[in-house]
Amino acid sequence: MPVSIHTSGGRDVWTGPLESVPADPLAATWAALDEVLDPEIPISVVELGLIYGVDLVDGVVNVRLTFTATACPCMEFIHEDISDRLTPEPWVERVEIVDVWDPPWTNGRITDQGRAKLKQLGVGV
Amino acid sequence: MTSFTEDELKRKVHEGYIVESPEEMTEGYRNALAVQLTVQADTELMSAPAYWMAARYAPSTNTQVSAHAIIQDELAHANIAYRLLEDIGESKEHLVYGRQPHEFKHPYGFDQPLDNWAELVVATGFFDRAGITLLTDVHENTSYGPLKRALVKIGMEETFHLRHGEVWMKRLSKAGGDAKAMVQRAVDWMFPMTIEWFGLPDEMKRHSGQLDYKLKGLSNDQLRQVWMASTVPLCEELGLEAPAHWDEQRGEFVLEYPFPCQYDAVDKHWAFDEGEISWDLVFQRWKGRGPMNEIYVESVQRCRGDVGRWLNGKMT
Repeated sequence: MPVSIHTSGGRDVWTGPLESVPADPLAATWAALDEVLDPEIPISVVELGLIYGVDLVDGVVNVRLTFTATACPCMEFIHEDISDRLTPEPWVERVEIVDVWDPPWTNGRITDQGRAKLKQLGVGV
Repeated sequence: MTSFTEDELKRKVHEGYIVESPEEMTEGYRNALAVQLTVQADTELMSAPAYWMAARYAPSTNTQVSAHAIIQDELAHANIAYRLLEDIGESKEHLVYGRQPHEFKHPYGFDQPLDNWAELVVATGFFDRAGITLLTDVHENTSYGPLKRALVKIGMEETFHLRHGEVWMKRLSKAGGDAKAMVQRAVDWMFPMTIEWFGLPDEMKRHSGQLDYKLKGLSNDQLRQVWMASTVPLCEELGLEAPAHWDEQRGEFVLEYPFPCQYDAVDKHWAFDEGEISWDLVFQRWKGRGPMNEIYVESVQRCRGDVGRWLNGKMT
């Protein structure tokens, strides 16, 4: 997939929301999160390895999120992007985001696809 | 030096030829590139002290971290452009530390003080949008390969700066009252400041080496239109008054004030009521530089001198 410059957070490429509740809403939640791009680098928060887990109970999505640094300048934007992407989905009543600092993020968490995109962008890992 | 004549190189770059090294450059190409890169580098560099002095008005620690991240990015962008200048024989050391304040080539807008949080966020919303407008055009059109590649990283980072500015403009505008009034006051002086930044109108523009050598693609007036196409709707959405609107008949954005006009840097006031002035007067104002020119340049250069002297003192 070619990498290009997007609106911060990738809002110009978001596809959602779906018209009806899919058979596997948890998988659809992960797919939606995979559209949320880092506010600076156009790879997704899933590809960056920022998502430690997702639960879905009675319409409440609980996202366990970490950041690449404790002084990440984009924490607020990432929260906002995740919430704005997931909230309109028909199986989502509410989005809860929990910041997780332990274990700390390392670049070992970046997925292979994320690595390939970063390479294309000329960003070393 | 190159085996191309000036005319041959101008023709080749318009056919898609990408210049990769100084050996391929004619003197005219090298000089036009040096001017373009110096303006780019100086603009990035001088945005750092301007933003840094205003970041102290940040309303929270996290927000201050965001502002400082922007400043760090701007310094890195400056470093990239100065580094590219070294490839064509310029000295980064001299460009950053060896010049007098008035010799820097950044726009007059970055010689102005940013006096509160609203001014900082409108600066990142307007000035960084101008930066993206100019650099996106360079990225898409430049015939200089090393610059084209360097601009990928710069473009990605500038989108975050812009978002920071626009998100905060929205927040303050939605809050209404004093917050919105402060944003409006910032818009009142920064909108015309950014319009002027794009330079002479096309009808008066002397021969442009940057277009001839395909160092950029769009003219000054076209770039002004691109900037307004994002900025005017943003202001309308936020209920802010911007002195420009879309003209259906002309199919372009038009200004609602005499352009160019005189600016009072002390009161941050554009003298719309005094009518249009000549560009000679604008150049005179630019040449005289703005109120923060010396302070900003000194803030970049000062510690280099101090620490350098301490280190030298210890070593002798």
